[in-house]
Amino acid sequence: MKQERTDRSAYLFLLPATIIYLSVIVVPVFYSLYISMNKWNGIGEMTFVGLDNYANLFGNDPIFRKALANNLIWIVLTIFVTMTVALIFAVILNKRFRGRTFFRGFFYFPCVIAPIAVSIIWRWIYNPNVGFINQFFAAIGSEYSQSWISDPKVSLYAIFAAALWQAIGQPMILFLAGLQTVPVDVLEAATIDGASNARRFFSITCIMMKETFVIVIANLITAAMKVFDVVQGLTGGGPNNATQMLSTYMYSQTFQYSNVGTGTAIACVMVLMMMVVIIPYVLFTAKES
Amino acid sequence: MDASMKPYRKIILYVALTILALVWVVPIFTLIATAIKSKQDFYGGISLFAMPETIAWSNFTNAITQGRLLLYMKNDLIVSCLKVPIGIFVEALAAFAMTRLNIKHKTGVFIFFLIGMMLPMQTALVPINVAFSKLGLLNTYFGLFYVYVGFGISFGILVLRGFFLSIPKDIDEAAYIDGCNKWRLFWSIILPVAKPAVATLVITDFLSTWNEYLLASVIINDNAKKTVPVGIMTFVGEHGTDYGYLCAGVLLSVIPVLIVYLLFQRHFVEGLAGAVKG
Repeated sequence: MKQERTDRSAYLFLLPATIIYLSVIVVPVFYSLYISMNKWNGIGEMTFVGLDNYANLFGNDPIFRKALANNLIWIVLTIFVTMTVALIFAVILNKRFRGRTFFRGFFYFPCVIAPIAVSIIWRWIYNPNVGFINQFFAAIGSEYSQSWISDPKVSLYAIFAAALWQAIGQPMILFLAGLQTVPVDVLEAATIDGASNARRFFSITCIMMKETFVIVIANLITAAMKVFDVVQGLTGGGPNNATQMLSTYMYSQTFQYSNVGTGTAIACVMVLMMMVVIIPYVLFTAKES
Repeated sequence: MDASMKPYRKIILYVALTILALVWVVPIFTLIATAIKSKQDFYGGISLFAMPETIAWSNFTNAITQGRLLLYMKNDLIVSCLKVPIGIFVEALAAFAMTRLNIKHKTGVFIFFLIGMMLPMQTALVPINVAFSKLGLLNTYFGLFYVYVGFGISFGILVLRGFFLSIPKDIDEAAYIDGCNKWRLFWSIILPVAKPAVATLVITDFLSTWNEYLLASVIINDNAKKTVPVGIMTFVGEHGTDYGYLCAGVLLSVIPVLIVYLLFQRHFVEGLAGAVKG
């Protein structure tokens, strides 16, 4: 028989986290929901308008729709590009070789720099006249030159490259941690049975890392929905709203144009979109435990 | 891989690593190559790839004197040094109750806390701004610290709960028989065993607190209270964006996080194992 102590003091351990969590996360979300149903400039009186802010956003706001589309493109890019690159890095850095610790630290290093600072560095790299990339092409004798972030056609992808460089460390470390949980004896048994490297990787390692994939994908999607610093620092949503994200649009509506009701409605749309990720993730986690 | 790795595969591994490292080093190279050049060097036509005639140390000294970087670093250090230990303590208490105490709806409680990981800070911005201006918490370290603890709770609980679950239950029974109470079990046994998970959280928490921009830019307007990311942004435009000076500031501001990373990185990967394996 397990000796379980069933006194109420167990709940005291939950108390601090619960109070802080309720006051910082839960209550504000509901308050936001309320504000989003008002017209408000942030200072004066609120006027209740029901779902008008949402109707305006979805009905006749092309910038909002552009931002929504950009967030969706960003999600697709992170799932396919970021996850693949992170997995490749993790598999390489999981092998035993000299300098492994150094390389792990090296590829993680960009995570250490503030994202807003990273965006400034990349603004400089993309500088059309004296930036690294165009100077590099000049140095190798190429005529090629590009205005990068000020060209609406490529700016979103240019920002994504900066974000990829910065953020690869997080999923890479998660994959590395996941790779540690794959039992070596299973892999060895498969080798003895004549399974090829690729076969072992896809049929054993990837299957065994199912939970890791769920966490990485959930993290990447939510990070893609939230992406702010790197966009704000590189373009602020420009040129001509080409790189506008829900987060940057929310920020400018709320804090620059004082359309607090509209801005908060955008934040609530972000939450609703997150729910699409949260619900399956939570169901999966609940089933596992 | 071990010594049995075939030589040609080892060569492929190193070639792949070198190529990736070369691509990845570009921004770091740019950062350093820019920080050591003066504005005149750049607009006088010295290429990014060339060494300047004299290293522009003034970029670094200006970042500290005119840019008030040390002040921003001090502010950030105060907030981070409050947030990291107190945050981890609060998360560990909750994770302990969820894994080792007899409470109802353990999974439900866990899920309740997990949802916060997914919510964007944007939803909290306006309500917290309203509440803080009423409570007089705008422009205070405490206000910033409190919000950061709130947003760190979900990830902290995920990591610590995963790790606590991997600690055998027998330890608890032995401890209770030896006369430990719940608090002693938590503080003197479980928490020390969970050192790798705690070390991991110290790194990730310190990083995200030190570098957080969005909330800090909304809660702190007072120049004397700004944290590093918000402070660094005052470098932009203030001097017509002098990139040499800006890059020097970024380089200096990375030092504290780098120290924390190097001190705790030994347990980094190991500590996350509990989070990725339900």
